[in-house]
Amino acid sequence: MPPNRTHRRPWLVVLPLGFLALFFYLPLLGLLKESLFTAGDSSPLVTTLKDPYFWHLLRLTVKQASLSALASAVIGLPLGYILANHRLPMPRLWRALTVVPFVLPAIVVALGFILFFGHNGYFNRALMALFGVRLPLLYSFQGIILAHAFYNAPIVARTTAVAWEALDPALEQGARALGASPWTTFRKVTWPMIWPATASGALLAFIFSFFSFPLVLTLGGARYATLEVEVYTQVRVLLDNTTGAAFALFETLASLSLTYLYLRVETRNRSQYGSYARKRQHRPLFGRSWAGNILLVIYLLFLALLYGGPIGAVVYDSLVGENGKLSLEAYAFVLKWDHAAQIGHSPLGAVVNTLRFAFSSMLLAVFLGTALAVSLPRLSRRGAQLWETLAMAPLAVSSVAFGYAMLRAYRLGVLRYLSLGPTGAIIAAHVVLGLPFALRVLRPHFQSFDYRLVQAARSLGASPRDVFFRVTLPLSSAALLVAAAFSFSISVSEMSATIMLAQPGFSTMPLTIYHLVSAREFSAAAAMAVLLMWVMTLVFAIMEAAGQYLISLRIGGDHHVSEL
Amino acid sequence: MNRSRLLLVSVLLATLLWSGVGQAKPRLVVYTYDSFVSWGPAKQIEDGFEQMYDVDVVFVAPASSGEMLARLISEMETGGTEADVFVGLSDTYLSRVHSRNVFRPIDAAKVPNLKAIPENLLFDAKGHVVPFDHGYITLVYDTRAIKAEDLPKTFEDLTDPRFKNKIIAIDPRTSSVGHALLMWTIKHYGEDGFVDYWRRLAPNLLTIAGGWSAAYKMFTNGDAPIVVSYATDTAYAVMEGLGPIYGVLPLHDAGYLQIEGVGIVRTSKNVDLAHAFVDYLLSPEVQELIPTTNWMYPANPQAKLPEEWVRYAQPPKNSVRIDPEELDRKEATWLRQWAMAVSM
Repeated sequence: MPPNRTHRRPWLVVLPLGFLALFFYLPLLGLLKESLFTAGDSSPLVTTLKDPYFWHLLRLTVKQASLSALASAVIGLPLGYILANHRLPMPRLWRALTVVPFVLPAIVVALGFILFFGHNGYFNRALMALFGVRLPLLYSFQGIILAHAFYNAPIVARTTAVAWEALDPALEQGARALGASPWTTFRKVTWPMIWPATASGALLAFIFSFFSFPLVLTLGGARYATLEVEVYTQVRVLLDNTTGAAFALFETLASLSLTYLYLRVETRNRSQYGSYARKRQHRPLFGRSWAGNILLVIYLLFLALLYGGPIGAVVYDSLVGENGKLSLEAYAFVLKWDHAAQIGHSPLGAVVNTLRFAFSSMLLAVFLGTALAVSLPRLSRRGAQLWETLAMAPLAVSSVAFGYAMLRAYRLGVLRYLSLGPTGAIIAAHVVLGLPFALRVLRPHFQSFDYRLVQAARSLGASPRDVFFRVTLPLSSAALLVAAAFSFSISVSEMSATIMLAQPGFSTMPLTIYHLVSAREFSAAAAMAVLLMWVMTLVFAIMEAAGQYLISLRIGGDHHVSEL
Repeated sequence: MNRSRLLLVSVLLATLLWSGVGQAKPRLVVYTYDSFVSWGPAKQIEDGFEQMYDVDVVFVAPASSGEMLARLISEMETGGTEADVFVGLSDTYLSRVHSRNVFRPIDAAKVPNLKAIPENLLFDAKGHVVPFDHGYITLVYDTRAIKAEDLPKTFEDLTDPRFKNKIIAIDPRTSSVGHALLMWTIKHYGEDGFVDYWRRLAPNLLTIAGGWSAAYKMFTNGDAPIVVSYATDTAYAVMEGLGPIYGVLPLHDAGYLQIEGVGIVRTSKNVDLAHAFVDYLLSPEVQELIPTTNWMYPANPQAKLPEEWVRYAQPPKNSVRIDPEELDRKEATWLRQWAMAVSM
């Protein structure tokens, strides 16, 4: 029911939007100003537009992202089919697979790929032993594309599966009954109805690959560097802020238009999903056709290799030292408080920092997200839409570009008067990046919240404070927990903005892994990565439990978690 | 309420105690490149200096020389740095250092060992950076993977398709070793020719590593049989008991001379201590560690060299260097042209 006017509390909107204005829009404005006006002779914007290197990088980035999206679609589509149509053994494992992009920080994937697909990695050693050949996968364009497919295929699979599930099975059954072969049925009936969903998943994969940072930085080197990596190189290595700012601005423009395109496609798709009359029958995984079963086995083996290989290699390497013996040395290194010169910081200090940043930014993101989600339903429709879009915008901006804008703002711009220091700047950045995720969970929750309960409690004499703590909060605990888990995990795995903001003495877990990978100290990197995965799994286990609780209460859709 | 207040108080107390820990001794923060710690004499220097002066020496070395310098500069320009000393500043970075005003002039009176350093190594006329070692950058190969008759002898030979994916290069923007090779190719092919050369060389590069340390680990791990490294690598392999498994490619019978220096950060508050550190670095005691840990030639000729080192660490016949003034003027353009040439 629509809340009445007595509940209008517009001042609540001021907090989250003020925060975003200060820590997101203001820094971006500074970036705009720098790239428009700084240079002496001509505007850096114009210089960049005339720079062949910029256009070359843009072409390369688009090419890389397109191929990555294509590979993600090719690998993800069969998985989407399986998820939608088959009864699966070990459903939790499959579920885990579909959240890979959110549970595995990119730098961990990079490490896994080096260990498994590297020239002397487990995959090539096995190939060498079996067939006497090596597959030069890593440090190549194909290697980067495969890594992006690893990351994004689950996204395509999920969007496809959701559309497929929503398809009325009677259509396919009808075609089959009229004598069409399964392939013809798929081609003429199913595919025309699900491809928009696959396409929207692929578009998301394109966007993620376009702005992929840790993977390209680690696996690409100068030869395959994309725009995102170049912004980092210009600012952090060559100290050419002007060029960096101009590149970052063009990237931001590109990302905003791409995200706008994605949202358009997605909204159109969403309106097309009918509410299906009959429930789709889930068949057993293996059917009667031999050829089909063989294809399926090959595909499953491929998935096991692609996902099990790198993750297994990380876990294995963390336990086995360079001499091939089982030891906990790597963990001992990672859990030491002493300063380690090769990461410029104490390893345990990095763990503590990560948790500190994650907890602080989680609390802030959930608080600000709640304030916004509670206020939005009370505003006019158009107002609410505008504010929500403004709060979701950080999703659509390159993290490296945003990190640079933030760096500039807190050191040289207006934010320097707040004397944030690197800690404050990193936490603020993580809040900005986590807020959209928190909002995506909290917004539907508070939209459908039954405010009659609040009114009832009020009319029975409870004070507003009591109502909030005794009615609203308990009823929202599951949604809050999910929102918290998302913002927590964003902060824990964030590396792109953090690497721009980090100072000596402010290392985090992903940064430490990056430094250890650069120094090629793989065992220690793997141990840190295992710790990181463990933290993420724990968080997502809590979220999963909360999600179940949420469904059992029937107060939120069960799709919120899976669709994010 | 009481419980939370207790919690608050104990947290505050813990923080106070925490910040009080380890503040007793003066700290000397030394920035350097990664391999100076993982290979080089950092540990011995740290121990030796701490014993002499009762201070806490902290090495910070999470990246290659170029990245560490960039980090130092960006810290100094935006709020200050903790660093007192920078060890391992290659002569190729001198122009960047001067234009950004990173170091203070070194007071020769406080560094008695400076007198022993030969004139031809003193690459900084302003005296902000003093040399502590030098070496020759060249390409090194794995003698077990490439036969003697197949050895490339010129830069041109390296572009041959038989070396596809066989070379590990290093990014000149982040590493002084990679920078040296780029300068050598510019010297060899000229300003107009080097871009084309790198474009032709690119297919043969397995990867372009961020720093020497990463590149060399890939090389010793067997990822590729050729790497950009130092002419002293044969000495390293022999003296570490590996046998002569690494050889120096006789590219035009030359190597690119690299001099590494040390500077005192302009904003350092431990100026006297920093001078003492520089003096210690140049002392025969530390200089004698340089050959067998950092695998470079010491700057101080008073340092005694091991016999095997003298036999195996032969300098190349010719040494190449680029004119510092030209480098100063054109470096940014060259680096950009290089990046464009190697980009896919």
